[in-house]
Amino acid sequence: MIARDRNWLLIFAVCVALAIVYPLFADGYQLTVIRDALIFGLFAASLDFFWGRTGILCFGHAAFFGIGGYIMALVTLNDAIPFASLLGIMGAVAGAAFVAAIIGYFLFFGGIRGSYFTIVTLAMGVICQQAAVSWSSVTGGDSGLIGIPPIEFDLGGLHVDLSQDLPSYIFVSAIVAVAVLALWSISRGRWGTVLTAIQDNEVRAAALGHNAPLRLLVTFVLSAAIAGLAGALYVCMAGLVAPDLSGLLLSTEVIVWVAVGGRGTLLGPVLGAIFIQRAQQTISSFNPSLWPLLLGCVFVIIVFVLPDGILSIYARLKSLFKGRRRAQ
Amino acid sequence: MPPKACSPACANASPARPDAMDFLVTTLLNALTLISILMLVGLGLAISFGLMNVTNLAHGEFVTVGAFAVYFVQSMGGSFWLGLAAAPIAGAVVGCILEFAIIRHLYSRPVSTVLATWGVSLILQQGLELTFGLGAKPVTPPIEGTLDLLFTVYPAYRLILIGIAMLTLLGVILLISRTSFGLDIRTVIQNREMAEGVGINTRRTYAIAFTFGAAIAGLAGGLVAPLAIVLPQMGVNYLANAFFVVIVGGVGSIGGLVAGSVFVGGLTSILNYQISPSLAQAIVLLAAIVAVRLRPNGLFNGASR
Repeated sequence: MIARDRNWLLIFAVCVALAIVYPLFADGYQLTVIRDALIFGLFAASLDFFWGRTGILCFGHAAFFGIGGYIMALVTLNDAIPFASLLGIMGAVAGAAFVAAIIGYFLFFGGIRGSYFTIVTLAMGVICQQAAVSWSSVTGGDSGLIGIPPIEFDLGGLHVDLSQDLPSYIFVSAIVAVAVLALWSISRGRWGTVLTAIQDNEVRAAALGHNAPLRLLVTFVLSAAIAGLAGALYVCMAGLVAPDLSGLLLSTEVIVWVAVGGRGTLLGPVLGAIFIQRAQQTISSFNPSLWPLLLGCVFVIIVFVLPDGILSIYARLKSLFKGRRRAQ
Repeated sequence: MPPKACSPACANASPARPDAMDFLVTTLLNALTLISILMLVGLGLAISFGLMNVTNLAHGEFVTVGAFAVYFVQSMGGSFWLGLAAAPIAGAVVGCILEFAIIRHLYSRPVSTVLATWGVSLILQQGLELTFGLGAKPVTPPIEGTLDLLFTVYPAYRLILIGIAMLTLLGVILLISRTSFGLDIRTVIQNREMAEGVGINTRRTYAIAFTFGAAIAGLAGGLVAPLAIVLPQMGVNYLANAFFVVIVGGVGSIGGLVAGSVFVGGLTSILNYQISPSLAQAIVLLAAIVAVRLRPNGLFNGASR
């Protein structure tokens, strides 16, 4: 356990170091590409925080990303609201958390777990996208909302203006690093231990006096809040929000990022998000309709070939070199 | 009071004049159309999700494949009825391949099943789009025109659809309750190990039951094709609704399936009159979640699973 923690912190430190030196070698465009990928990495980490620790798969996590994005867009596009950027981020986080709390309350306290939860969240994602399309007076319908200003605020005399590439890259990297570190310390501590106990045997965990539904609910709400934060950051960087951001395809992609990166590692999903998005951009430049096809193949391959994600290749190779060949 | 005949392509056949009796009967028949489709799609899910504990997210694609089968046969010059006969066969073939290639290897890994079947669903959708091209595919109903039903005038094809769906359901009930294969299925569901112990080939039973469910969903796709917009992505709406049918109704009985379909289908068609379809969907979802909270074992099942 201790060695594993040390390894995780080591990899984390290496990633942070890479993120710090990257601007020395990259131009503005490359910075924005990595910045946007990092935001999706934060989104992936938020899903992993829930899925990895509880074993329950949320199939509509993009709903929270989209809710965060739309709230941020509506707040910052409204000229009457002061401190729009800060209020928008807070509103996005609170809005996503609120929706998660309502849905989660009914599901977790109703004894919904496992596949049932997956299905209901799947439908939630479908409906969020439909709502974003059909409620066009507020959400702008199919085309979404454009012209969302970059984040800009004053904090204790410090003026933060993220309209340039480098400041926005640093800001996003810092938020992602802090959030991943925070999620990791929560999930490795007592909270995560109890979640593991609930995942292994909920009845036994409840018999030991743990309020299992409440724990699951709080974890779910926290996960949704981070997803909302990622959504809010994304729309400010991209300058637009569209129904796709709450759609089924994004919900699906985030699952692939987590599964490829390695479920339960928090850092793996961030790396998975960055790598797969690079691959997606390359493939889509040939033929845009090829990507969903490949995505489907990736799903099947993950399940049969790499059930523990890319990071497990390293562990497998290690055991291979040590001569400890085990059949599966 | 004969109101104007509604084209069968619209979501709800609506009366032109607000006559109370007319309105009631039309609403009832609209609801019945939706309920029939939901029952057929839900049947396959009740088998795989409810009984085999397999979460098959590619179930909606059986509906899509069925609808495309009708379109394909019609575009080759065949009649609608020939297409409707091809629809369950197309569903069964896809279901059978899916069971053999993927699902039977993952019975003990539920989350992996979710991921793999979703992958298959994406592959099927994109494959259909690459084969048949973008855009909605036209499917013409076998009978245009309407039937006079004393209180209202209703599209004849919808009445045929309801009739075929009811007959299919009756056939399934008879199959499960009267034949030796039905007995095998019921035995495997109750206790898999014991069923193996008394010499039932459970893998084969699962495979046949799964293929059968896929065929019924394909038939539903074929039936709904003239009323719906036939697209490679059409399956996901049926998928979500059919899962609600199974979850709300509770697993393990035809009664639960009927109760769930009536709940989801009835509520959707009543709400569709008042508000926009996507808002109606959202309300049905919320109602389903609340219903599950209040009756965790389903509307129909009193006892625990």
